Amino acid sequence: MAELELIPVRTRILTPKDNIVDAIAEYARDRIGPDDIVSVAESVVAITQNRMIRPEELEPSFLACLLCRFVPQKGSLSSAYGMQAAMNAEGKWRVAFAMVVGMLAKLVGKNGVFYELAGEQAALIDDVTGTMPPFDKHIVYGPADPDGVAEAIKARFGCYGAAVADVNDLKRAAILGISKGLEPKQVARILIDNPFGNASERTPIVIIKNYAQVAAKESA
Amino acid sequence: MNFLVLLLVLIIAAAVVIWLYVARQGDAEFEFIVDQRTDFRLTELTAGQAVFSCVVPFVNKGTQDGTIMDCYPRHLLPREQFDAVKVESRLALESRLRDDGYFEALIVPKTTGGNVVLTVVLTVRQGDIRATLAEMVDMSLDIVYQVVARSRWYIHKQRLVMTAEEITRALSAGPTGA
Repeated sequence: MAELELIPVRTRILTPKDNIVDAIAEYARDRIGPDDIVSVAESVVAITQNRMIRPEELEPSFLACLLCRFVPQKGSLSSAYGMQAAMNAEGKWRVAFAMVVGMLAKLVGKNGVFYELAGEQAALIDDVTGTMPPFDKHIVYGPADPDGVAEAIKARFGCYGAAVADVNDLKRAAILGISKGLEPKQVARILIDNPFGNASERTPIVIIKNYAQVAAKESA
Repeated sequence: MNFLVLLLVLIIAAAVVIWLYVARQGDAEFEFIVDQRTDFRLTELTAGQAVFSCVVPFVNKGTQDGTIMDCYPRHLLPREQFDAVKVESRLALESRLRDDGYFEALIVPKTTGGNVVLTVVLTVRQGDIRATLAEMVDMSLDIVYQVVARSRWYIHKQRLVMTAEEITRALSAGPTGA
């Protein structure tokens, strides 16, 4: 009887010279079956899309220097450069508006409003140290068109589905992009224990084996 | 008119409050405490090469977490002063030793710190390294580090001196291993 199995796939360090779909072909093609879901780490997808920038390439505005002061220290937008990157991606007035409303919402006990209003990239940006060398000195944005990436993976390998996931060791899993027919929350639950490991483990691809069979059995 | 004055007063008051908030918040402030470094010790010795290392503590004595984005040593031994050896230097975090000279960006929470291991490789151009180093001079080394925190990034450096006496002492003590 088939069981769900998570298979992390180790790769070399992927760079903007790589295409994520080709990288999956290089390292995992033989292990992907028609009942499987292929999931990939969002930060690695973003790196292969060259969606990153060095702080030295940014010129933080007065507004960015000011607003970053109101972000808790652990947040990626707590530096002037992380904040400027978010402003470049989502628009400086949108981020500023979100900050003001977010602070007012906090006063009445509602958290997370800033990230709801500031746009997806504000929540996805990884500041320096957020990824492994040699990209530890870069600010990495979230991936572009994650649904399209997932569909491209599914089409290339004929698997049951594909997903672009943002998972960490703090039991937080979010699906940023997913192929049609899959339920994001269900895939997030499967990945909640972070099978991608930490960056130094270099396993940005995780194959969820036998997903279709197990799902069919459960729904029967 | 009164409304405009009131508005102006409110704007100025808000600006003062924000300025006070930012000033009170402060920022990260790093220091490599070179006067608390250990003596250089000899870690490897061959006929042509001597490898020395020492440990240098650093601290974020500021009021905010900060990131050391990069950190590297710069040795200063001009050939006009002493041309009998070639110098290489590198450093690594003591807690994450590596020998490629790459410094992985590191978040240092406020009021905490760590240590770096500074390694200096002296390679003789001709003859025997031990005999050559008997003539060695004091050599300055800068620890150069790039910081990013709440404010704009900056590069700073702190200087230490690897003295000729220290080299002689380390050679006399012999290799201690890495």
